Amino acid sequence: MKKFNIAITGLGGQGIITAGTILKNAVLDSVMEDVSGSERRGGAQREGYVEAFVKYIFYDSIAELQNPRKNMHSPMIASGDADVLISLEPLETLRAASYVNKNSVIIFNTNPHIPISVRMGKNKYPELDDILESLYGITDNVFYYDFNKLSLENFGSIISCNVISLGVLFAKTNIPVSKNVIENILLKGSKAKDNLRAFNIGLNL
Amino acid sequence: MANLFVDGKYGDRGIVLGNEAIARGALEAGIGYASMYPGTPASEIIIALDKNKKNIKNLYTEFSLNEHISLHGAIGASWTGIRSLCAMKNVGLNVASEPAHFLAYTGVKAGLVLAIGSDPGAPSSSNEQDDRWYSLHTYMPIIEPSNIQEAKDFTKKAFDISEQFSFGIILMAPSRLCHNAGILNFGDCSDRDLISGNFKRDPENYLNLFNLAVKNHKKYLERNELLKKYVYNSELNMIIDAQISSTKSSRIGFISSGIIYSHLIEALNFINADNYKILKLGITFPLSEELINKFLDNLDEVVIVEEAEGFLEFQIKKIAFEIGYHGKIHGKNVFKAYGELTIDDVINGVAGFLGKAAPEYFTAAVNKSEILSDKTPQRMGTFCVGCPHRGTIYSILKASGYSNTDSKDRDVIIAGDIGCYTLGLLPPYNAMDWLTCMNSGLSIGQAISIADKSKKIIALVGDSTFYHSGIPVLMNAIQNNSNILYIILDNSWTAMTGHQKTPSTKTDIDGTPIPNSVNLKDLLKSLGVSYIKTVDPNSVKRFSVIIKEALTEKGLKVIIAKRECILQEERRKKIKNIKSKTENSPEMFYELQKERCVKCNECFVELACPAIQSAKENGINNGKEYYFIDPVSCVKCGVCYEVCPNSAIRKVEFNLHPVINSALNPESQLSFLGNK
Repeated sequence: MKKFNIAITGLGGQGIITAGTILKNAVLDSVMEDVSGSERRGGAQREGYVEAFVKYIFYDSIAELQNPRKNMHSPMIASGDADVLISLEPLETLRAASYVNKNSVIIFNTNPHIPISVRMGKNKYPELDDILESLYGITDNVFYYDFNKLSLENFGSIISCNVISLGVLFAKTNIPVSKNVIENILLKGSKAKDNLRAFNIGLNL
Repeated sequence: MANLFVDGKYGDRGIVLGNEAIARGALEAGIGYASMYPGTPASEIIIALDKNKKNIKNLYTEFSLNEHISLHGAIGASWTGIRSLCAMKNVGLNVASEPAHFLAYTGVKAGLVLAIGSDPGAPSSSNEQDDRWYSLHTYMPIIEPSNIQEAKDFTKKAFDISEQFSFGIILMAPSRLCHNAGILNFGDCSDRDLISGNFKRDPENYLNLFNLAVKNHKKYLERNELLKKYVYNSELNMIIDAQISSTKSSRIGFISSGIIYSHLIEALNFINADNYKILKLGITFPLSEELINKFLDNLDEVVIVEEAEGFLEFQIKKIAFEIGYHGKIHGKNVFKAYGELTIDDVINGVAGFLGKAAPEYFTAAVNKSEILSDKTPQRMGTFCVGCPHRGTIYSILKASGYSNTDSKDRDVIIAGDIGCYTLGLLPPYNAMDWLTCMNSGLSIGQAISIADKSKKIIALVGDSTFYHSGIPVLMNAIQNNSNILYIILDNSWTAMTGHQKTPSTKTDIDGTPIPNSVNLKDLLKSLGVSYIKTVDPNSVKRFSVIIKEALTEKGLKVIIAKRECILQEERRKKIKNIKSKTENSPEMFYELQKERCVKCNECFVELACPAIQSAKENGINNGKEYYFIDPVSCVKCGVCYEVCPNSAIRKVEFNLHPVINSALNPESQLSFLGNK
């Protein structure tokens, strides 16, 4: 059995859940493949923490697929067990860093969103350099961009950050899914043209 | 693309949410009635059916006013021979516990399933209660799926079990299952063309009084015994035998159910422990003594892996005592009884119990996260940009003088309640003195107004919560002449759970007028409220004056803070714009002028609108900090413009077209406009 775990985190309204759903739709064709993963939706409010897990399973044999000791999977990702962490907010990258290990890849958005406690002066928002230092203390594979800026420049809104980050995922990791499959999924969805462009922007970063 | 949820058939595969899988299972079982009072994490169960009902034959869906009504509704439908699904969140069963306690007495005709979304860790709830304990007295059987596929398959099966044994069945789904999204293999739907209800009198079962109730009590205890025999043979339970017997490991067993079972299997693989006997319970009430006996046989020790206080442990220890089992039974001595039991908790618990080491990368990550968590400020939710509740909470704090303080000595008491406005209890507002269950605000407040006359009391309630069970509370307060200010935050929707309609909703999102909507003011008058004022919560100065005034009046005062949820208002605008797009129409925005701003924090901390942000000059880390309004997130509600004491925020009107691409930099927006 081969597994590939992706944790996607950020804030409400950033398209975290959508990004997870796009990735999950990539493995519908074979019974030997499975995907699941829980989402933290955090109510309707826009400022809360949101996460989506994508856990791909590729079975080696029918026997394994039918083995009850092998064919049941937790919807959560255990500490250190994510192959990739995608985070659309720097502080949330730090919060979710417990999901990764020294071989994992971290892809994150450098555009900060200040939490209330920092606004009130009760906490300090960590500097980007400090965040990077902490992340490099875990893995060497850290990729970071200002996705907000890229999205605004290209699409006039920040709505495409999530799909741009998926492009980076396919450019910088060994995700065992073909990027053509993702392009086909984007092609069938709404705003196909923008999404394909956003995906390509990410691919070329 | 075809809509799989409606048209999917055997052989189809799709990505669905756990909640949608439950709904689909009910659809495959041929339900004709679905009801709920919305509540996270269960809401999407009925939303999935409701939004597709136009394309589903003979399906009635209802967002009822409360859980008591919605479960009664499902019972009524079942009595006419229609299979019914009712859904609610964990605490909903407290409200619906009355019908739940009669369901075993009367029994069902067509299958009835009650899907309960529990919320361990309480990310969206005010408690973590484990509703399974109710079944010790309601005798409602409990089915617990472990993944998305089982969520559908077990729901479908539950309807058959319900009919066979004449019990309403509880389907337990914690948030990790409700909001688990992944692959579902679809089945075929029952032929639902012929479904039509037909109520027949059944006085022996439906009338319960005196000896009739006693007789039905005896009958359901007998049905429960029959059900236990079924449970023994049911494929919903599964024993996985140790692969190699006569080893030490083969004499240790694990029992689990639901989503925690999925954690257990993953945890055992994680630590390469693959020779332990496992009992997976798909039905967790009633348990079969025979099945437990069969499993415990040959085992020296058994570990029950479950969340909360140990419902399975309680039942299994009783059975073990009765059958004279002499091994050790572990449960809550290994796993905590509070908070969510995460995959990490199960790995740690199982590895610790077996004396095995978890992988190095796991322990390294756990240790690292402890170090990192000190550096990571907490992020808590707050009101959306433009939310009318922000205006209400701000106005209350201004009127009572409690801005930006969490002091315990307050003369004005603020009673919270359940809804989006609950977020007002968090910093920076700290605007609530208690939060428990629906309509606890006014009811507890009323007693405090009697017991402590030195305080003034403001009780908050949202429109949906008010209609849920607030009317009797209000009548009680009126009849007992309570001295209290009751603020109804009427945003026209049950917003937090995805904008279901409330009785106050007058216009649907697409502009369609809703018939029979309630005039709240008329309703209040007819209940006997004489002091009623309606205010726009975004007019914060006026609102706080009105609150101050109302607090000086004696008796029961009601203020309706009326403004539609901003998310719905924005959605409606979008729909309208698509219909009639006018170019070059005058637009406006608010600008925070850096040179006039003295950073008094009125808008940034006290109002705390997320659209008002801070940045450092020239983008340098230790440059001078300034505030600005983020044009991307601002919805132009104008509240910050009203609260700024230094006129540093101004309103700028312009024509739309030149500004489209300059949203990036808030300062550049103005370069072409000059100073007005």
